[in-house]
Amino acid sequence: RAAAFATGKVVIEEEDLEDPLWELEMALLQSDVEMQVAEEILETIREKLIGETRKQVQSTGQLVSEALHDALYEVISVGQFDFDQRIAEADKPVTLIFTGINGVGKTTTIAKLARYFEKQGYSTVLANGDTYRAGANEQIREHAEALGKKLIAHEQGGDPAAVIYDGVEYAEAHDIDIVLGDTAGRLHTSNDLMAQLEKIDRVVGPDLTLFVDEAVAGQDAVERARQFNDAAAIDGAILTKADADSNGGAAISIAYVTGKPILFLGVGQGYDHIEKFDPERMVERLLGEDE
Amino acid sequence: MVLDNLGSSLRGSLDKLRGKSRLDEDDVQEIVKEIQRSLLSADVDVSLVMDLSDSIKTRALEEEPPGGTSARDHVLKIVYEELVGLIGESTEIPLESQTIMLAGLQGSGKTTTSAKMAWWFSKKGLRPAVIQTDTFRPGAYDQAKQMCERAEVDFYGDPDCDDPVQIARDGLEATEDADVHIVDTAGRHALEDDLIAEIEEIEGVVQPDLNLLVLDAAIGQGAKEQAQQFDESIGIGGVVITKLDGTAKGGGALTAVNETDSSIAFLGMGETVQDIERFEPNGFISRLLGMGDLKQLSERV
Ligand SMILES: Nc1nc2c(ncn2[C@@H]2O[C@H](COP(=O)(O)OP(=O)(O)OP(=O)(O)O)[C@@H](O)[C@H]2O)c(=O)[nH]1
Ligand SMILES: Nc1nc2c(ncn2[C@@H]2O[C@H](COP(=O)(O)OP(=O)(O)OP(=O)(O)O)[C@@H](O)[C@H]2O)c(=O)[nH]1
Ligand SMILES: [Mg+2]
Ligand SMILES: [Mg+2]
Repeated sequence: RAAAFATGKVVIEEEDLEDPLWELEMALLQSDVEMQVAEEILETIREKLIGETRKQVQSTGQLVSEALHDALYEVISVGQFDFDQRIAEADKPVTLIFTGINGVGKTTTIAKLARYFEKQGYSTVLANGDTYRAGANEQIREHAEALGKKLIAHEQGGDPAAVIYDGVEYAEAHDIDIVLGDTAGRLHTSNDLMAQLEKIDRVVGPDLTLFVDEAVAGQDAVERARQFNDAAAIDGAILTKADADSNGGAAISIAYVTGKPILFLGVGQGYDHIEKFDPERMVERLLGEDE
Repeated sequence: MVLDNLGSSLRGSLDKLRGKSRLDEDDVQEIVKEIQRSLLSADVDVSLVMDLSDSIKTRALEEEPPGGTSARDHVLKIVYEELVGLIGESTEIPLESQTIMLAGLQGSGKTTTSAKMAWWFSKKGLRPAVIQTDTFRPGAYDQAKQMCERAEVDFYGDPDCDDPVQIARDGLEATEDADVHIVDTAGRHALEDDLIAEIEEIEGVVQPDLNLLVLDAAIGQGAKEQAQQFDESIGIGGVVITKLDGTAKGGGALTAVNETDSSIAFLGMGETVQDIERFEPNGFISRLLGMGDLKQLSERV
């Protein structure tokens, strides 16, 4: 160590990292990053830093923070693609299906995206694949009317795949650009409902399957993202209710286990309350650098 | 999966103590760490977990295990007692006339829970009515109405009125004959000042005997701030945890109970009106820690 001092550099040893890494783990958990995911991220940092040298002017804590920033960015920016370009280049009609747990905001997000696409000059049709929940038809119908969009819906109890399929046929017959297919909320522990989701995926063959979850979700985000991705492979995720929450660690958890990008953030209940997801900003938010 | 592993690693480190009758500092440290992991992966608030594990540690080291008790059972008993001390018994719900208001975040399960609770009261021989004051969410009126039809209970709502306070007032009058009034409210979160002011106003008119905070079992660390805000605005007398039919452990409810000095009233276990249970501490604690029946053990010790 003395030799290192002579050159103005210090070699980082395992025990130097213990405290800063413990503090970071607590900070990540405080931000709702799932525990196993947090530990794996910290493990990469540990491996990277042990044996590295630091300048005497830098503290180990500082180095660890920088490494964490990079590691989080790497996780959270996984698979990012240009969503608008993907839509622009796709053969029309483009079919988007929204999946996720009960009450996370799928239907509201569809309404917001109908507005989003309209601003870009695309026509949309909504198809209500939620033939289960009380009031589901009335809810999406009200949105469709407020937005001036056509809604395809069947009776309650009908086959969800058939409704979305009808939506695609309607779009083809009427030259509509984008089909927004809703699905009923479900928990990943319900085998029947997850099998139904697989069927919808198979029958409709969507261009993009978007997994919706909420920013207020905690540790469970990992489990459900994994299982939804297994049932109907997702192309990206949307994180709602970011306005309710200052953490957003669920974004890390979801990106980490699915390897798929977060595409949008829902930031309120209004139709314009949707933002493109910005990985850098999310990292800053997680590290408390934006306040 | 991950969580079950944690449960089993806790079981593992406790099993190591099986033969021992005295605990040294290292043993305790190891167990406390596993308990921390279990609670943190159950979404219990980080600082609450630290407080809890501190008291568990102190007690495990200081208290003399009762004669014939293994170190392992002694620690488990302490853990159980600390958690029971925090969670307490189920919120008292008298089987008599009363008004209950539900509040909580968007999509947490309030509307479903109001119909479920009405169903529960009707099975107890009371006459409940649900009043839907959500004028914001599209289809909220139809949703509540349909759920109440399924529960075969009285319902009041007014799809043409956009003033929740007015609906609450009219609804209480229109359902005067009912014994139990359950008032559903629109979803809102702690940072929405106008909506927080709105629910304070509804509360002023309704004058509920009990306000319940409806929390999704999967809510993360945000539970603390939400619970604080709702408690400050309307006073929270109990918590309902929904979507417990999933894999989330519901640790956010523990945080909320701690913040609001209240208790847990009901559990939601599915989407139909029958999927409701009264809270029972032992089962919940076992779920939090990913372990079996701790009450039995604690009583044995
Ligand atoms: N604050 C906030 N609320 C949101 C956001 N997105 C949706 N919500 C609200 O969350 C609640 C549930 O939204 P829905 O769109 O019905 O959710 P869903 O996933 O379709 O629900 P199910 O169909 O029942 O599974 C509604 O009250 C929405 O207004 C958001 O970004 N911020
Ligand atoms: N699996 C399961 N789903 C539930 C449970 N409780 C509610 N849900 C579902 O969760 C979603 C949201 O429930 P709601 O009752 O509409 O929630 P809310 O709090 O009234 O929502 P807002 O009025 O928009 O704030 C719906 O899809 C419900 O069917 C539960 O215990 N288990
Ligand atoms: Mg929906
Ligand atoms: Mg509701």
